Parts: sequence; structure tokens; C-alpha cells
Amino acid sequence: MSTTVVFEPLRLGNLTVKNRVLRSSVGGRFDNYDGSGTEVRINWDLKFARGGVGAIISSNAPIHERGHIVPGYAYLDSDDKIPFWRELGKRIHEHDCKYIVQLVYAGRERILPGLRYESALGATSDREPINGFPCRSMTVAEIGDVVSRFAQSSRRVREAGLDGIELAGANGMLFTQFLSPAINTRKDAYGGSLENRARFALEVVRAIRHEIGDDFCLGFKISVDEAPRELLPWLRRGSTVEDVVRVCRWLEEAGVDYLHVSAGTGFPHPRNPAGRFPAREVVKTYDTVLSSGTYTLRNYLIFRTWPFSAVFRWWWERPSRRLGIEGINLAGSRAVKEGVSIPVLCTGGFQTASKIAAAIERGDCDGVTIARPLVANPDLVRLFEQGHDAPPRPCTYCNKCVFNFIENPLGCYEEARFDTTEEMVEQILSVFAAPAYVATTEAAEVS
Amino acid sequence: MSASDPTVIFEPLRFRALEVKNRVFRSSLAGRFNNYDGTGNQAHVNWDLKFARGGVGAIISSNAPVHPRGLIVPNYAHIDRDETVPFWREVVRRVHEHDCKYLVQLAFSGRQRDLGGIQFEKGWSSTDKPEPVHGLRCERMTVDQIHDLVGCFAQGARRAREAGADGVEVHGCNGYLITSFLSPAINTRKDEYGGSLENRARFALEIVRAIRAEVGADYHLQFKISAVDYGRDLIPWAAKGTMLDESIQVCRWLEEAGVDAFHISSGSSFPHPRNPAGGFPVKDVVRGYDTMISSGRHTFRNYLLFRFWPFNRVFKWAWERTAKGRVEGINLADCRAIKQAVSVPVLCTGGFQTASVVAAAIARGDCDGVTIARPLIANPNLVELWRAGHDVPPRPCTYSNKCLINQLENPLGCYDQSRFDSREAMIAEILSVYEPPQFT
Repeated sequence: MSTTVVFEPLRLGNLTVKNRVLRSSVGGRFDNYDGSGTEVRINWDLKFARGGVGAIISSNAPIHERGHIVPGYAYLDSDDKIPFWRELGKRIHEHDCKYIVQLVYAGRERILPGLRYESALGATSDREPINGFPCRSMTVAEIGDVVSRFAQSSRRVREAGLDGIELAGANGMLFTQFLSPAINTRKDAYGGSLENRARFALEVVRAIRHEIGDDFCLGFKISVDEAPRELLPWLRRGSTVEDVVRVCRWLEEAGVDYLHVSAGTGFPHPRNPAGRFPAREVVKTYDTVLSSGTYTLRNYLIFRTWPFSAVFRWWWERPSRRLGIEGINLAGSRAVKEGVSIPVLCTGGFQTASKIAAAIERGDCDGVTIARPLVANPDLVRLFEQGHDAPPRPCTYCNKCVFNFIENPLGCYEEARFDTTEEMVEQILSVFAAPAYVATTEAAEVS
Repeated sequence: MSASDPTVIFEPLRFRALEVKNRVFRSSLAGRFNNYDGTGNQAHVNWDLKFARGGVGAIISSNAPVHPRGLIVPNYAHIDRDETVPFWREVVRRVHEHDCKYLVQLAFSGRQRDLGGIQFEKGWSSTDKPEPVHGLRCERMTVDQIHDLVGCFAQGARRAREAGADGVEVHGCNGYLITSFLSPAINTRKDEYGGSLENRARFALEIVRAIRAEVGADYHLQFKISAVDYGRDLIPWAAKGTMLDESIQVCRWLEEAGVDAFHISSGSSFPHPRNPAGGFPVKDVVRGYDTMISSGRHTFRNYLLFRFWPFNRVFKWAWERTAKGRVEGINLADCRAIKQAVSVPVLCTGGFQTASVVAAAIARGDCDGVTIARPLIANPNLVELWRAGHDVPPRPCTYSNKCLINQLENPLGCYDQSRFDSREAMIAEILSVYEPPQFT
């Protein structure tokens, strides 16, 4: 089939993206511990800008230190961070690529708490159920504070000369913790009915619109299939698809320009990123997380010890076997698209041009966002342009990248995709290739 | 001059090819401030500047691997390729602005790779026996590999000189690669690099000669050595390792080979109950050691030991008993013995933070100057405090060793909350290393 639709421009509110492929939010621990940015983050994002994606959605950018997922990601929590983001945007724009910043507040999904805040703030005081990350229920005043911080960070995005904002509303982050009845047990104005559970998200959207105006692209990423019981069957049920679509409509009314469909009430989740559970890699890097939660030592022993590791792996991979990986969220995306009139982006393992084109033409989505297959092939769009339907060395969905990022630089860790281990390591370390300090003629004369 | 008169601390120290304005050096020390591949970052510059501003006469850089296989943990600045020179040049230029000298510590971890990184699965050592505490695995180096690595040290020295650094220090102590050759407790080789003392010292001497051949006679070159292995301090049934008389002989040979100064430490491992001597901070260890579990064969056992009572109490007691009550100046007696045997200046490390103690050590002839790590983390302006008349800083280092264990997962800094008015104040101080940011 023809894949030309993949290369057609896409309008997201006031923003025009040159094609239908966006890099989804993905980035390693490339920055400083305090959230100040480094050259390496720029190098990372440039890989994808050069590779031809229409827009880049940034790595998750915390609006506040307490809301980070792990340290080592560039924050957007204060005005002194703006120069870094401005430089990043300038360099990306040189490649005719747009830049959307994903603003996050992790809530209880805090894999490494960092120094300052021992417990996270979330919708409730219930621990994150898989690792047992501690959490305290936010007061109404604290909710108000986070709402205004989202607005202030959005202003910074605009001041930095970037092209759009995406709210990290999926994957168990704070927005999910309010939206999902599997998590939100609040008895106040922010819990209970769907209206109440959506209140926080809608307040953030309105506050951002109030702060930055109506003419700047604002997207919302949302888990349509929350599937909280995919891993732990004894948890409460999540939102129905109908309820999520209703929330999407409200978000549209409040001023959201596009929706971005993902899945799951936590991260990682068997449906996102769908694929393998690389037990050996997990054992190597999960150790760093041991001090973060109450269930981590138990988990570590499971991951480390046969046959528990094999059983866990089988259980984890069940949804991928049942639903497939590439396009796993298309049904949810279609449901949202039928309920709203703004563009809908869909994520989930895309790397085949014909499948992307078919999804767009069927009306399942208006464009796709890609993370892992772009980590494997940053030039995926160029390969599509050259006529490849799938890249010669496709992403295997092994998820080794996902688990290595805690301790090691993000990159493709699937040895099977490389001729040698050295070649793989070189590819991973290439993100450091343009260091901050390089020889200048003046400096060379000193020696 | 009375033994407690601190003026001697502020007298210049003259080496053959270098003069330092006072007797206080910042010892090799830094956190994981750089990129994973060993390229440098602004935070590292900021870190070193703290001490240059605080008045030390010279800074010895954090361990700078001369080959990527020689890292201890990732995210330290390497000096393993010419592309790293511009970064070091910037560090040196900024430190020089504060009338402070800068020495690059040339390092190769050997089998003590706490976090080995993704490039090389095993470290290189004199032996193929794993490191005993964590069970870190290693390969026994071939003679060709030894020769190549000698060349890497020489190239590292050349790069340091090109970067404008005032000298280099060869990291020959604390169980890292050179110790693994020097120590009879570690070195099991049967070839010309093992067995007799001459053979065990061959690698170190070849490095010194190769550096001299590369950078010439007029460049400062010092050697850091563990005077005594104290192999039984933690594991009573372990081999004793290098004794003082052997180290004295090695230092004599090194001096003949062209070493300009010695820097005295102790122990055949890092960490070791004598270095850094002091506390074993169980709670911080449990939080920080977890990341090392995947590094070695014994690490998970150790983790459980550190995490659960009463094992952690027993371990803490065993660790702390060696140095109890004698942390500051713990290496002075050994240092004195070496100083008496050589004619070049000798520096001593080990918990120094009392001006009168430092002055007395110099006046007695135990050493010519001191190098300081932890007390400078606690008080980067220690020298200024002494100059202002304090004998000890108002909030001295407690030797809690929390800094040490925190550096694996968190930015290096002082983590002893009792030294601060609040936890918030402590964290603000720790994170100040990121000011100013690179992008402004």
C-alpha cells in the first residue's frame, strides 16, 4: 500500500508538523542530578531530528524536583533552566523539526527519589503497588500549587522558543493517579465521580491556557486502556474506555489541541512498553532501585531466582502475546478519535510504514509517536523515505533499553541487532560524541 | 618554632619542578559529575573550584583513568584520549585563576571496579583472582597488555602537560592496579612481574620511566603509594600483603626512576578500615550499596549483611575498631619511615583538619605537606579557617564516611546532617556543585 500519508503534514493546534511521525518522550539520565541540562541531552535529541521525525516530544521534564521520576533528567522547574531549553530548541530547529516539551509530575511513580523529598506527593497515600514507592496524599493547597507550577513551566516552554507542550497524563504519572478509579480513592472534590477525578487535569489545562494563551500547541497524553490488573489482578478496576473518551472531550473543551494515546496505570507496564521482560538486564539494573520501595527486595529476589523469574516473565508478556505489539493502542486511539474532533496521536511499537499509513487512513489516529524503534533506528523516517517498509534491523521489543536507562546511557542494548558487542557499545556511547569542551584554535596555541 | 605554631602550613613547598604556595593539597576526590563515557562536565569544574577558592595550595584531580577499562565507576573525567584535553585545559585554567596548582591523578582501577560500566565486562589485574570483598571479577593481564598500559600512563601524562596541568600523580595505592602488582597478597604471577619485590615493582617503575621519557625531566611527577597493605584489618585470616620495609625499598627505586614526591596512604583495598578511616554508616550504605549488587559475586551477600541486624552491627564494629580514636594522622608513622628513606618531599593523607596537628607533623619531619579529602568536603575553606586562627573548623568533619558511600548514587558532598542546621541546608550545600550551570 501507499505510505505517502506518513509524509503529509499534520496540524496540532497552531503547530504544523512536517510529517506524521513524532519521537515519543524518551531520554536517558543524561543531565545533572539537580535537573540542569547538559550537552548530552542535546546530542540525544539531535539524533532523531537528523533522522527525519517531524517533531520531538522531549524526555519527561519535571515541573518540580519532587515530581521527577529519576534524577538526571532536565527539569523545567525554574526560570534559570530556560537557557538550556532555548539552546536545545535552537539546535533541533536547524533540522526542520519541531520541539514539544513533555511536562511531568510523577507523583508516586518515582523510581529514584533523589535527595530532597523522601516521600512523593500523589493523589492518595497508597504506595505504588509494584515496588512500594512511598507516597502522601496531596492537600487541596498542594494540588493548587502543582497546578500553578504546570502553568509556570508552560510559560517557560514558550519563552524558550519551543513549539508546544504535552502533559504527561498517561502511564501512572500524577494525572493518571487522579483520573484512574484504580488509584484515586479521594473523598473530596478531586475524587469519586468522573468529573471529580478529571478536575485536576482540567484545572491544569485551564491554568496553562490562562498563562500562555490559546495560540500555543498543548497536548495531553492519556492512558486509554488503564489495565491496572494486568500485572496485579487483585487491584481495583480502572476507567472504562467510555469514561476516558469523556475526559478527552472535556480536555478538548478546556483547550487541548491534541491527544496522545498510551496505556497503563504505571510505568513500565505489560502494555507499555509492550514486549519482552528482559529478566537478565533487569537483575543488573534493578538493584539500584532497592532502596526506593518496600517491595523492591522481594521483586529483586523474584527477578533473580529461577523459576520465579521465568513465571514473572511469562505473566508480564501475556498481554503482548494476546494483543500484539505494533499498534497495541490503536483500538483505544480509534475510540478517542471517534469521540473528539482534535488530532489524536498513538504510541506503541510502530516501525512499519504500511502499518502506520493504514492506521492513519483507517482513522485510528492522525499520527504516531515512536520511542523504542527510534532508539534502535533513529533514522527510521529516512528509511521509510527510501522505501523500506520496515528497517533492515528492526527493534525487537526486547525492552533492554527500558531497564538499562537506570544505570547506563540510554541506547539499544539488543546485541542481536549488531554485528558485535563493541559495535553496540559504540552506538550507545555515540550520544556523548559531541562533548561540551572541544579544542579551539586559541586553546590549541597554549600547549 | 613550637610544634603547634601553624605558620609552617603556610610556607611554600618546593619540589624539583614545582612550587606550591602552602602545605595543603586537596587529595584526589570527586563525585560522578561527568558523562558516562568520561567526557567532562561543568559540575566537575565547579567542584574543583570550591577547593581552589578555599585556599589549598594544589588540587590533585579525581582519579582520571588512562584507559576506559580503568574506570572505578563511570562518570569520572578520563584522560584516556586526546579529545579529553580541552576539558582538562578548562579545569586547569579556572583553578589557576585562584593561585592554585593542579595535578592530574593518572589512574587505572584494575579489579576494583565498583561499577564496571558497559564497555568491558571484567577489569584487568595482575591476577585473575576476583577482588575478595565484593567478588569483582578480573582478567590477568598479559605482558603485552602490561606494556600497552604503561604506554597509556605515559600518554595520559602527556595530555596532562598539554592541558597545562602542573604535574601528574600516579595512583599507585589502595588496591588499584598498581597495588595489585606491588602487593604479594594480590600478585600471583610467575613471570617477570610477580614473585620477588623487584618483579612486583617492575610495572610501577616502567610507568614512571615511560612518563619521564614522554614528558621530560622538568615536569612534576609524584607517586601515591600504600605504605602498608594492612591486609588483615578487615579479614583476619587474609594475607598481610606489603610491609613497610618493602614499600621503603620501592620508594627508593621510584625516586631513582624519577619520582619528585611521594604521597602516602595505606591499605590494599578501597575502601579499607584505615582509608578512609572512620565510621561505617550502615543506613547510608544500605541506600548506596544496592547499585553495586550486580557488580560482583559477593555483593548480594554483603547487601543482606549490611541491611539486616545483627550482621550489620557486627560488621560496623569490625570495620571501625581498627582506626578508633586515631583517624587524624593515621598514616603519619608509616609516612615518617618513608620520608627518612627518600630525599624528595613526602605528602601524607588521612583525616587532617587540625592546624596544630598538621604543623606538628611537618615540624617533626613526618611529612612535608598533607593531602585532605573528607575534611575539605566538609569545609572547602579549611585553609582559610586556619589562616583566620581556627585550630579546627567550627563544624569539623566527623569522619562519618557518609560522603563516600553516597557518591555512588548521589552527588558527592557532606551528608552528615549533624553538621548542618537543617537537612535543607545540607542538601543546598550538596547541590551547590551544579552552580553555575553550563547553559546560562
